[in-house]
Amino acid sequence: MNKWLLAPLLMLGLSGCSSLSSTDQQLLGEAQAGFNRIKNDADILRAAPKDVVRASESLARAERLASYWGSAEDVRHYAYLSQRYGEIARQHSLTLLNQERLAQLELERQRLQLTLREAQLLNVQQQTAWLAEQMALLQGVEGERGLVMTLGDVLFEVGAAELLPAASRTLLQVAHFLQMHPKRRVRIEGYTDNTGSVDFNLQLSRARAQSVADLLQDLGIGAERIEVVGHGIAFPVAENASSRGRAQNRRVEIVFSDEQGRLSAER
Amino acid sequence: MSKASLCLVLVASALVGCASDPVPSEQLRLTEQTLTQVRALNISAGQSAALAQAEDKFAAAQRAMDKGRYRRARILAEQAELDARLAEAEHLHGTSQEQLSALQGSIQQLRKQLGALQ
Repeated sequence: MNKWLLAPLLMLGLSGCSSLSSTDQQLLGEAQAGFNRIKNDADILRAAPKDVVRASESLARAERLASYWGSAEDVRHYAYLSQRYGEIARQHSLTLLNQERLAQLELERQRLQLTLREAQLLNVQQQTAWLAEQMALLQGVEGERGLVMTLGDVLFEVGAAELLPAASRTLLQVAHFLQMHPKRRVRIEGYTDNTGSVDFNLQLSRARAQSVADLLQDLGIGAERIEVVGHGIAFPVAENASSRGRAQNRRVEIVFSDEQGRLSAER
Repeated sequence: MSKASLCLVLVASALVGCASDPVPSEQLRLTEQTLTQVRALNISAGQSAALAQAEDKFAAAQRAMDKGRYRRARILAEQAELDARLAEAEHLHGTSQEQLSALQGSIQQLRKQLGALQ
């Protein structure tokens, strides 16, 4: 071989290193950086080991080709494939992490559901017990009228029929009780003390009883299950002589029917 | 052999390299199969840049095949396959993300209900 032949061969070899344009060099650099990011990520290795291996192989190919003349297109191609494998592996790892989190959360959801059911049951039991207690207390006095619950004077403004916010809580529990016992009905009876005219007190007692009935209806109890009566100053439970006795007389009573929906006779 | 003829041989052999690329029909088949699978996920066209790239490159690969540009066809088809697989992986990730949000929402709801009771 003469030196004329050696010269172009040498040139070919030398030009190998500089055959890549700066853009291609940059692409290769990005692929290398991308691979460095995924190869040290334990989750990615765990979720998609094969894709990581392929990313590595493609990158190695791109690096090898980078030293050959005229292979810029292949370098770009394998750098691209390496990046793509890396992205695919990353997506798979994110999916896997989500799936693991889903499994954890599903357990948590089941636990919560169980707790909620227990709490609801307990709540129902407490309400029933509370109501039964209320009723038992009053049953001794008013046994022949069935179960009776008294809403005290404090639930209304003086001389007005509007319910105070404090009443809502009690009536919410009554509504719950009625929802649990859909056959039961109620008669709501209003009473006043003897201050003021008989007519005014009759109207006030009826209006107060109606306010209670309205709230129960707002809470989802059907109107057909509710009767409303005003008794005015009749049937006092205490002497009207003292302010304490008068306060006891200002009240709304809720008379509950039995389980079959039979109410005691009206007074 | 003269210098000139030697150079010609070198140049010719470089050119032959391009023409002797194998026909990448297997790769095109594989890419098409992958694309069919990913299309079945019903990802909407505007939703996935990766799927759009896959479709474009696969179409270009088929055109390159028709023109006998096998090397170009192989490169495009290989890239299209991975683009499609990325679209699939992104879709799976998105689905799991939605499931996660839904579950977190229902847990929050349960917590609220529980809080209201206590």
